[in-house]
Formats: sequence, structure tokens, C-alpha cells
Amino acid sequence: MVDSVSAYPFPRERFYQAEHHMWASRDSASGEVTVGIDVLGVQSLGDLAFVSLLPVGTRVERARPLGALEAAKITGDVVAPVSGEIVAVNADVLRDPSIVNRDPYGQGWLVRLCADRWVADAESLVSGSRLDAWVASEIRRYRERGWIR
Amino acid sequence: MTQATSTPTWRLLCDDGATHSRGLAADDALAGRVGQGLSPPSLRLYSYEPCALVGRFQTLETELHLDTCRSLGLPVNRRPTGGGAIVMGPDQLGVALVLAAGEGDTYARARELMARFAQGVVEGLGTFGIDARFRGKNDVEVGGRKIAGLGIYRHPSAGMLFHASILVGLDVAHMLRVLDTPFEKITDKELATVSARTCTVRRETGREVSVTEVRDAIAEGYRRVFGVALERGELDAAERSSVDTVEAEKYLDPRWVRQRIEVPDAFGSARRKTPGGLLELRVTLAGSTLKAVFIAGDFFAPEGAIADLEGRLRWHSSHPRALEATLREAYARWGDELGSLALPDLLETLAEAVRSASHAGAKEQLAMYGCFVNPQGT
Repeated sequence: MVDSVSAYPFPRERFYQAEHHMWASRDSASGEVTVGIDVLGVQSLGDLAFVSLLPVGTRVERARPLGALEAAKITGDVVAPVSGEIVAVNADVLRDPSIVNRDPYGQGWLVRLCADRWVADAESLVSGSRLDAWVASEIRRYRERGWIR
Repeated sequence: MTQATSTPTWRLLCDDGATHSRGLAADDALAGRVGQGLSPPSLRLYSYEPCALVGRFQTLETELHLDTCRSLGLPVNRRPTGGGAIVMGPDQLGVALVLAAGEGDTYARARELMARFAQGVVEGLGTFGIDARFRGKNDVEVGGRKIAGLGIYRHPSAGMLFHASILVGLDVAHMLRVLDTPFEKITDKELATVSARTCTVRRETGREVSVTEVRDAIAEGYRRVFGVALERGELDAAERSSVDTVEAEKYLDPRWVRQRIEVPDAFGSARRKTPGGLLELRVTLAGSTLKAVFIAGDFFAPEGAIADLEGRLRWHSSHPRALEATLREAYARWGDELGSLALPDLLETLAEAVRSASHAGAKEQLAMYGCFVNPQGT
């Protein structure tokens, strides 16, 4: 089961950016897309010490940085899974990045985007019928490499 | 028939007296170019003109005595790599190893990459008979005392920059004047304590080892650990042009250098009488991460062991279970040498110091949100 039985849940209704382990979830009413880091991404990063995010009003492109993070003394970019304009930034996470570790799919969301190429961008993300196989292979790969138990 | 395998070649770049902005820009630009396949994998071993460098997510005002920096004419800048503030100069050797990160598992591999990259430093220091080892997430230590700090930065182009700063020598008094430490004031006692808890190549070898000697040893360490050939080289015209751009657009830009970080620092302390003596702890907390811990008191323990405890707790989760797991490892290493500082006492005092910092941080946030005028106007 992808959703809840696994120690590494991947909620079914979301879309996942495979390379960087980001998730995206579209609200069908508003059209806004919420973005965060999935559970394998969080688990392999370890404790997040700092997160910075581009401000509201910034346009970001898919696969380009929407912010930066520091965990276990590695710094790098938080990569946008879809293109669009940032319409909200999670200020709680900026002040306490450990929220992402505790609740990656809930309070640990990072930004909301007004995604203007959702249909095209979503095709590059893992979702629906492809999800089970991808999650299983990623968990197996992470375990084999010793990145998770 | 045996098939000949070719030895991979890295370019070796050596320079001294880099300015703060140029030194950082060169590493950053190379990471970008190596990630795009425009430059070869490179090992840069270099020194800076005297400067102070904060970590990627630090705020200058809270990490450095900026008035002192100004009066000393000491430039300040921000590294792309994480961790704490450092002083750099002719007696500290900078290491920048720039490789292509490959497919997007850099974060997952961070710990193993850090350990592997650190091995070049460990091997190089072994040339001098120094028994160094990789510790925790991001230090190379000798007998519990830090001799090199480490960090990794993943460039958006998928180039990867490994940074290390090796203490060939260190003017501890200068460092304490420049860096904002948890000490309320710097007396001879604090100076002696910090000196006893730091480690340099010169102190370990008992002689005036030059930066050039250390550079040669570290290059050889990386050559052996990674099984590569090192070829001396220089930046070409295109690379110098990239460095110019990155320097101008990032490391000379106040929006990069002076950016403020949302996670506020909070300070806490705790003291307790233990059977082994008085124990005093001062901690700096950023969110739920312990940035720094200073352990003092009149219990008896080797300075190396205390330096090791402090080092392991730096940039560590403040969660009690995580703290206990880390400290148990440290106690297993030091055994009876930490006999007069019982682990339960240390854990309880640490928890108390963390609580006091969290409380102070919460009060500060309340004060911040009580202000209706946002000076930045955002």
C-alpha cells in the first residue's frame, strides 16, 4: 500500500518529482499547487536546519530552484516540481524547518504556486497507476544503499 | 588478456592570498561549470587573505563582531556551504573539491559523500603522523579536537562542491575577537579553554609546518584515496570570466552577503551540582537545531573529551532521544575518562539548557510579532 501501511507513505492523490523527491498537490477549486518534500527526500536529508524560499510573487520554472536548504551540513536547492508564480510561502517552516521532518505532507508544505503549465508539467511527475511501482523501487533502492532502514 | 584501465585525472589548482569574494566565487563558478561538463573535476588547495566567512544560513550580525571586523579591516562574506562562522587567512588551508554530482541522489548520499571526501584530509594529515578521523557529520578531529571543518554544496547545475578548512595554525585570540561566541566576555580562562579544545597541524607536529607542506600532503591524500592522477593546472579564460560573473553577481552583492535568516538564534544555559563537580552548559539554538554547546565546570575530564562532546553536539538535533544516542557513542569512546561527568547529569543539564533557550526564543518571537510595522515592507 502506498498510502499508509508503509513506514514511507506516499499519499495517492499527489504527484511526485522523482529525481528530487518533491511532491505537488493541486487544489481543483483554486487551481493552486502546494509543493513539499516527500518522505524519502526528508528521510534521506536528515534533520533540516534551515530552509529559505523565494518570496511571494516570484515566478519559478519547473526543475529550477524555488529555495535552498541545509541539512547535515549539505546545502543545496529546493527544486520546483512545476512552473508558476509563488502565491504563498510557509512562514512557519522558515522559522522552524523541523516541521518538514515531522509532517512533510501536512504542516511541512513549502510553497503554493499558481501553476500555469500544470497539465504539461504533471506529465513529468509520477502519479496514479505508476505510483506503486515507483515507490516500491525507490524504497528498495534506498534500502540497498543504506540510506534508509 | 588484461585490459588496461585508465586512471581518472583531476586538475589540481593551487593559489594563495585569495580575496574573500574571489576565493568563494572561484569554487562556486567551478561547481557550476563542472556540473555542466564545461570544466574538469578539480581539486583546489588554497589560502585566503584574512577574512571571516559565515555559513550559508547564518546572519552576519549574530555570528561576527562586525565592529571588530571593521576596525581590523577584516572583510566578511558568506560561503555557499553550511555550518558555522570561521576565520580564514594565510595559516588555514582551504580545500575545494569540485565534481559532477551525477543523478539527483546527492542529498541521500550526503553522509557517505562527506565521510569519503573527509578521507582525503585524514590521509593527508596522516603524512605528518597526525591520527585524524572523520567525526559525526562534518568534522575532522584529532583526539576529540577539531582540526578541519567540512561542508558540501550542491550547485543547481548538479556540480558538487566539497569544502574543508584545515587549521595549519590558528590565532585563537584573533578568532575569539572576531567570532561572536557564547561567552559573555573573553578572559584568559576562556582563551585557555578554547585553545586547549582546538587543534592545529603545527601544534600536533610541534613544528612550524608551512601551508605549502600541508597542501602537498593533502593533494597526495586525495590522490591515494580516490585513485586519481592530479595534474597541475590553472583556470582558463572562460573559467576566469565565469568567476568574474559569480563574484560580481553573488559574492560582492550585499543581497547575498548580508541576507538575514528567518530562524532566530536563542541562547540558553543551565548549571547543576553533580557528584563529580559543578557542570555549566551554554547553548545556542537555531529553531530545533543546536548550533553550539559550551561545556564548563569544575569536574575533571580531558579537554579532548569535552571538545569531542561539544563537536558532536554542534549542528545537532535538540531532540532528547537524538542527543542521548549521540552522547552514548561519545561516552563509549571515552569510557572512564568521562567518569566524573555522568551521562545522565549531562543529558538532564543539556535538556534544561535547551528548554531555557527555547523559552527565550519563544519570547523573542512574541516580541517580533508584536510589532505591526514590517521595516522591510514585504
